[in-house]
Amino acid sequence: MKNIITLLALVFFTATMTAQIDRSKQPQAGPAPKINLSEPNTFQLKNGLKVMVVENHKLPRVRIQLDIDNPPIAEGNKAGVSSLLSSLLGNGTKNISKDAYNEEVDFMGARISFGSQSAFASSLSKYFPRIIELMADAAINPNFTQEEFDKEKAKIITGLKSAEKDASTIAANVQAALAYGKGHPYGEMTTEETVNNVTLADVEEFYRSYFVPANAYLIVVGDIEFKEAKKLITEAFTPWTKAVPPSFSYSEPKDVQYTQINFVDVPNAVQSQVVVENLVDLKKKDEDYLAALIANQILGGGGEGRLFLNLREDKGYTYGSYSSLGSNKNSKSRFIAEAQVRNQVTDSSVVEILKEIERIRKEPITKEELDNTKAKYAGRFVMALENPETVAAYALNVEKEGLPKDFYETYLERINAITIEEVQAAANKYFSIDNARIVVVGKGSDVLENLEKVSFNGKTVPVRYFDKNANKVEKPNYEVTIPEGVDANAIIEKYVAAIGGKQALENVASYALVAEAEMQGMKLELEMKKTANNQFMQDVKVMGNSMSKQVLDGNKGYMTMQGQRKDLTEDEVNKIKEESAPFPELNYLAAGGLTLEGVEVVNGKKAYKIKVTDNKTVYYDLETGLKIQEVNVQEMQGQQISQTLILDDYKEVSGVKFPFKMSQSMGPQKFDFIVKEIKVNEGVTPADFE
Amino acid sequence: MKKFSLTALASIAMALSVQAQEVTFEEYDLDNGLHVILHQDNSAPVVTTSVMYHVGGKDRTEGRTGFAHFFEHLLFEGTKNIERGKWFQIVSSNGGKNNANTSQDRTYYYEVFPSNNLELGLWLESERMLHPVIDQTGIDTQKEVVKEEKRLRYDNSPYGSFLMVLGKNLFEKHPYKDPNIGYMEDLDAGTLEDVVAYNEKYYVPNNAVLVVAGDIEINETKKMIKDYFGPIPKGAAVVRNYPLEDPITEQKVATAYDANIQIPATGTAYRIPGFKERDAYVLDMISTYLSDGKSSKLYKKLVDEEKKALQVGAFNIPQEDYGMYLVFALPVGETSLESLQSGIEEEVAKVRNELISENDYQKLQNKFENNFVNSNSSVEGIASSLATNYLLYGDTSLINKEIDIYRSITREEIKEVANKYLKPNQSVLINYLPGEKTEF
Repeated sequence: MKNIITLLALVFFTATMTAQIDRSKQPQAGPAPKINLSEPNTFQLKNGLKVMVVENHKLPRVRIQLDIDNPPIAEGNKAGVSSLLSSLLGNGTKNISKDAYNEEVDFMGARISFGSQSAFASSLSKYFPRIIELMADAAINPNFTQEEFDKEKAKIITGLKSAEKDASTIAANVQAALAYGKGHPYGEMTTEETVNNVTLADVEEFYRSYFVPANAYLIVVGDIEFKEAKKLITEAFTPWTKAVPPSFSYSEPKDVQYTQINFVDVPNAVQSQVVVENLVDLKKKDEDYLAALIANQILGGGGEGRLFLNLREDKGYTYGSYSSLGSNKNSKSRFIAEAQVRNQVTDSSVVEILKEIERIRKEPITKEELDNTKAKYAGRFVMALENPETVAAYALNVEKEGLPKDFYETYLERINAITIEEVQAAANKYFSIDNARIVVVGKGSDVLENLEKVSFNGKTVPVRYFDKNANKVEKPNYEVTIPEGVDANAIIEKYVAAIGGKQALENVASYALVAEAEMQGMKLELEMKKTANNQFMQDVKVMGNSMSKQVLDGNKGYMTMQGQRKDLTEDEVNKIKEESAPFPELNYLAAGGLTLEGVEVVNGKKAYKIKVTDNKTVYYDLETGLKIQEVNVQEMQGQQISQTLILDDYKEVSGVKFPFKMSQSMGPQKFDFIVKEIKVNEGVTPADFE
Repeated sequence: MKKFSLTALASIAMALSVQAQEVTFEEYDLDNGLHVILHQDNSAPVVTTSVMYHVGGKDRTEGRTGFAHFFEHLLFEGTKNIERGKWFQIVSSNGGKNNANTSQDRTYYYEVFPSNNLELGLWLESERMLHPVIDQTGIDTQKEVVKEEKRLRYDNSPYGSFLMVLGKNLFEKHPYKDPNIGYMEDLDAGTLEDVVAYNEKYYVPNNAVLVVAGDIEINETKKMIKDYFGPIPKGAAVVRNYPLEDPITEQKVATAYDANIQIPATGTAYRIPGFKERDAYVLDMISTYLSDGKSSKLYKKLVDEEKKALQVGAFNIPQEDYGMYLVFALPVGETSLESLQSGIEEEVAKVRNELISENDYQKLQNKFENNFVNSNSSVEGIASSLATNYLLYGDTSLINKEIDIYRSITREEIKEVANKYLKPNQSVLINYLPGEKTEF
């Protein structure tokens, strides 16, 4: 009887419990779990290295991290030197050969890796004593060799090539370069050219200057007793010589004066990378740091952010749209709102992202949004504590960023105290709508037409064009196609006809030209003479003094550069010969081998692009037939340098049209030569070519 | 003497410590066939709730590829009690995180919460299993999102199509021949009826496993599980009967183009047995031997000494019915793909023809011991391993015993298995080249 009652009671109990589950209501959270925030054990070596040890014996393993907290470093025309350093570190030491070193680390099933100012190792705890020795030895006594250097350099260059067409790599590079400027450590670009400038001595110099203990932290987390760790670390790292890295200041990066689209054409892209960015001056110790984080979180911090809900969940434009807000104690950093979207919706995505930025600035967020976001931060904080490395990371932040000692103990309280007004103030301070750069990287022929029509708040957003190295370029043009039946020879023939006809050109046995340009207030004078018999003379004078002169007479010649005379080599003779004819086009027609490469817009005019040789490309105006541009690629000291010559203002002299304006540009320099005089079949004597 | 024994004890404790991390768990079935695994670890106030469904890319009919992955998206759209678009907000506003992923064989959904939100995690997953809202609006939105995902991950991404090329060339009949994400025309062709039918067939308790791991109290958790998952109706048994492949007996050469790359890549690929087979574990060891670490054979030869390769890697891509084994390399400078391919074959041939050295064998064992210690370092990771071991390998306790399999593999067995699966006439050579358009 008693049993039956119990049984009934049990049944009843279960039934009521089941009935109490109302699945139409979201379950409420239980009482908040207790948080335990411990602190690492610390000590400092005489050379300045600060050490933090977090004991955690859950698993028999140890992780070691070396973090050298130097200010940002500009690598300039040697950008890539730090990447090379990180690949060269950890290849053995002065005491152990590379092969023996790698074999020993691998044999223990451990890992050791290096950055240019960092190192990381992990192993089972039983191998810790040896791993810390190996790590310190590689850090303090690196084994730099020319052979390794050459190999790593080749790999970096191949790696750069492999990313050349990758829209996201291009986008990331250009976004940083435009925001910070290419002279700033965060904006500079590593290219094949800059990597080629780096020598092994540069890497060694970089190592000596920056791989030093003054700003260094060593963090050890895992199954190790503090006393034991202290002894082993002290032994291993005491030989590291005390030194302070040099420090530099950089020009302060600035936002654009008005919001604009910066477009980079990547013809193979099947998606556009859209980023709205501006600079922020934000440090972790700032009063409004947490409010700013919350504002960013609500705008685009994840799958429940406004950007994601709008661009992905509502519109299906993208796989994800997010924002991020940087903070940096040394420099300005960036706010970024981004999405990778399909080509057709590139323009709409720009508008939607701008709308969301404006909304969070103008309208207060709701209480629900604020509460939800606070809960998210609290949860994240709690969950991070599962990882023993969190304790070390927090302690490291307090040290590096100069935070109050109790920054993390009071973290949840301070998150909780943030108000709607503080979030809006932070949004207004850190997210820009009037001085934003909208960097779009994508397939211009698909997206540009609509992108140019983007308007926001009733104003059209201007579009500026850049190449993948963040250099300003002309607007790309996609509309023109080559008319049927047109080939390279026909274009040359049209050009010949346009400047006077074959007969008139053949009558020109020689001509002499004088032109002038200005360079930083100085007058530059150009004198050029050509004959139909492989004779050529070009003299550039600055304030009346010859700066560079080239002379060719048949199969020999010379050049002088600032007074230094040198005979031309056979190669150089042949090069100049190609250009020495009064009208090289006549030779092109005879020799053939021209390739019509397409139609491009040159200085606003549509032009046929003809490849004459691998190093020379010439552009002829689609309408007038005139030659409007030449691009020559030259090899100088192992580098490819491209020279552009723009021809304009054609005028007739003795029945033949000559360009009276010639603009020569090479790298950042540009000279506009205005022709003062052209003489045909006079003013040239054999003595000019001696 | 006393001092000696203390040290001895300490060293025994040290020696045991590698075993001491045994993952404890409890498992049982609900009446509707849902398998439940609980793992208690109260060291941090965090709990993971996860469901793995035995449905993946391979579970489809011709002309309807990519459905499992599509469902990964669709089943976040909302349920009878969770408004459309609110899922992520509920999770994050309660301090949690969540995600999902799909392979050719299974789909995994999970949440991680501070442990006071265990009930919420169970509610979310039970809602998803019991009555997800599947309608045209959600289907249309998620189709677009999946297409963007495909563009982002594959079409617009350097070397992003490599895995698809691999599947296409290693399989002729089995569904592994088609991409996990599916063909976009198949997604477009899928009707609401197709989608609903797919849900009813695969997303049922008897085709799934629920794992709750972390800071929990066992009895209380069991009760909550019964309350939330008990009422979900059982589905029909899932039957799979996919065509078997004929063995590859002659070397195949395939060429593919990728518009996003400048540097070509080469792959030497082999079809190998499914991951449950002992031989698959042996092949794992072979790939570690070939390319894990700077002293590994392929890295040392092709990257370090001969400077021919920018990168080289041997991968065992584990799958349920057949695995894919790939040795992948990128050339430096002007090195030809042929020269990389012959360099790779030379090293693979050595594994076939000679016993690996005693020293290398010990190194492999040390590496796998290290991996084993690290594999169970987070509760989130443990939850995923428990689900995988039960649902796909059919043995939950593998989480503690997998290391024994590796330990029992001998040098002779390594040679034998290499001869069984990694011969040139069983391989597909893939020339993956830069091109104007991506095609394969």
